[in-house]
This record gives sequence, C-alpha cells and structure tokens, in this order.
Amino acid sequence: MYIRFWGVRGSIATPLTNAALTAKIQKAVQLGLKAGLADESQIPEFVRNLPWHIRQTAGGDTACVEIQAGSNLLILDAGTGIRRLGLHLLRKYRGNPVDAHILLTHTHWDHINGIPFFVPGFNPNNKLILYGPSPGLESRIKGQQAPEYFPVPLTPAFRFVQLNEGAHFRIGNVKVETMRLNHPGGSHAYRITHDNKALVYATDSEYTDLSANALRPFTNFFHDADLLIYDAQFMPLENFEKENWGHSNAFTGIDMAIEAGVKKLVFTHHDPAYDDRKLCDILQKANEYLDIYEPDTELRLYLASEGLSMTI
Amino acid sequence: MNITETTQDNVSRVELEGRFDANTCGTVEQFIREKIKEGMLQFVLNMEKVPFIASAGLRVVLVFARELQMNKGNLCLANLQPNVLRVFEISGLKNAMRIFDDMESAARSFND
Repeated sequence: MYIRFWGVRGSIATPLTNAALTAKIQKAVQLGLKAGLADESQIPEFVRNLPWHIRQTAGGDTACVEIQAGSNLLILDAGTGIRRLGLHLLRKYRGNPVDAHILLTHTHWDHINGIPFFVPGFNPNNKLILYGPSPGLESRIKGQQAPEYFPVPLTPAFRFVQLNEGAHFRIGNVKVETMRLNHPGGSHAYRITHDNKALVYATDSEYTDLSANALRPFTNFFHDADLLIYDAQFMPLENFEKENWGHSNAFTGIDMAIEAGVKKLVFTHHDPAYDDRKLCDILQKANEYLDIYEPDTELRLYLASEGLSMTI
Repeated sequence: MNITETTQDNVSRVELEGRFDANTCGTVEQFIREKIKEGMLQFVLNMEKVPFIASAGLRVVLVFARELQMNKGNLCLANLQPNVLRVFEISGLKNAMRIFDDMESAARSFND
C-alpha cells in the first residue's frame, strides 16, 4: 500500500507567510556562513543537512491523503490538499479515466472544501465516488456548492455512497471498516486493509476519558495497524484545556498506538497556529516521551507533511 | 497502583505507588473524587514511587488541580522522579501544576 500526504493542516488552510519564508532563508544563510560555504557545488549537501524546519515546511493545505492499494485509488478526505492531488492525477493518468474512491471522515470545511477544485471532477468520464457516514452526505456536499457559496455546482462525475455507522465494505480487494470518533458533529475513522497490511486514518477525535476501558473500542480498531494516521492537533496542555474542541495530542496518540500494537504513527491535522519549528519541536518531544514510555519499542513516529510518502 | 493516604492539617497526603497510566488513572481518579465528596480540597500527591506517568495520568492531575482551584483548594505534586518530571516538562504541564521537591514544602504551600 502506497500512501502520500497532500494536506496535513486542520481547521483552515495555513499557507507559509512571507515573513516565515524570509526567516527560513535568513537562518539558512547564517548556517551557510558558519559552515564556510565557498562553492555552489557544496549547496545541495548543505541544504540536505539543514534542520527540517528550515529546509522544508509541513505545508498549509488541509486534510487529504492518497492511497494506492493495488490497482485501487483511495483518497482520505477532500480538504484543500485534494486540489493538487487532482492535478497530479491528471498528469499521471494522461487523459485516461480516473477511478477514485474518496472516503470522507466528516463534512467540516477543512475536510471537504477542496472538492470544487478537484479537476478530475470536471471530466464526466471519470468515476469519482464519495463515501461517508455523515447523515445526508450528498446534500451536504452539494450544499457547499450552492450558488450562494460557489459559482459552479458539483459536477455529475461525482457519485455518492451513504454509509451507515460502523459500516464495512469492499472496494475491489480492499477491505474498508469505519468507526465513529468523538468530535463535535461527528467524525469517523477508516481502517483500510489490503494484502494483509492495515492503515487506520483517525483524524478529528478527542479522547477525554483516557482510561484503558474507555479507550478500548478505539485501540481495538487500531489493533496491529501497520500505519496509524492520528489527529495530534494540540500539545497535551492545550488539548486538555480546549476540552470539547474535538482533537487530540501526540502523547495520547503514542499511548494508544503502543496499546494497539501499531507499527508506524503519523501525527497530522496540525494546528494553524503551529509553525514548522513548533511542529518539529512536537515530534522531538513525542520521541522523547516514547523513549521514556517504552525504550525498547519498535513504534516509529512521523510528522505528516505535504509530499510525505510511505509504503507499507 | 497502590494508594495510601494520611490527612494532616487539612491536607490529604496521598502516596501513589506504580505506573500512572491508562490502566491506573481510574483508580487515582476515583480515590480523589471520593475524598472531595468527603470535603477534602487540598491534596499533595507523593510521586516518589511512580516510575512513569502517561498522558492519562497527566490529564487526571491537571483536571483535578483546575477543579480544586475553582473551589479554593488545590492539588500539588511532590518527589517527582526525573523521568516523570521530564514528562511534565515536555508535555507543557510543568508550569500548569504546583510541583515541589518534597512533601513538606508542598504541604506548607497551602498556608501561603
């Protein structure tokens, strides 16, 4: 199973500002001066060795993850990140029909507002199916493109599959299971299994009772996942203070991943207020927490960023 | 998780023994909740025998500290092992809690 992240922000799209870009460049130049760079040929390696938060950015687009499971294309959520995924698919498919299954966790803006900009939607030969357990899925998605909100209605290339709570079904030889999460208005996790590999996408969820019993339904759903993509929007203190905001934190994600026997844990749904330096810091602290919690663990932690790709 | 408690000068001194995590946080929460029902509002948790605290434990102590503060009480922590203190630091909770090197300092703080 091939996974690629196209949008990793939560709540609202958060483009890199000019000030933040300038700060990265200034820092890189400072480090270059300290390193004594004297020749252009030294630049590529120097850049490769820069700290991640200077060299790269997590990105500003909202939730969207591409999955290739055999010949099946699945897309998790349709935040603003789906726009660039659509352009990528046009290049990849070179005019051949695009057959995509778009699994929506819920219909908050940051998970659906890329749909009108998903260019494959404008080709009636493409087969694009939107799935979701949110009640009234079709009217919600069409509603966001009502004329008072958007100049163009949803195109006929999109079809809908309304899921029930706890639905499980197949897309080709891919098994898909769903589970309700704790989020204002509702959200749902997806567990995707193909070729004995399992990915769980559990974004937009809050866990206020962190006792083992209360978490068991979730850790059972996450059990032995090769990859868990987890909502770590806040740091622990902010998470506990913003009760009922519907999100979680990296430390709770680690606790649940260890309990569930997860192999790789990716933190996503980054808060708009967190810059790349802060996100880097979160990953560092999460790794330190993991090292204290389970020094011998094989669990690996990752920070979701645009362009991050993995194979499980 | 083993819990022993003594009350002195209207402060409940609670000694915890064991990992403070998802499996044990309910026991601690229930204990403190019962004491609050009895009218106790000032707690010092002796963490000397707590080798590790997970996010579940962090949440319990923070929630109770905030609840007790709203009722003119408080919850302090004392004798944190280095790993436990480090978890409070990296989680951002260290400055949100009252943490002391020893039980006596913690207990005295209620008189301040």
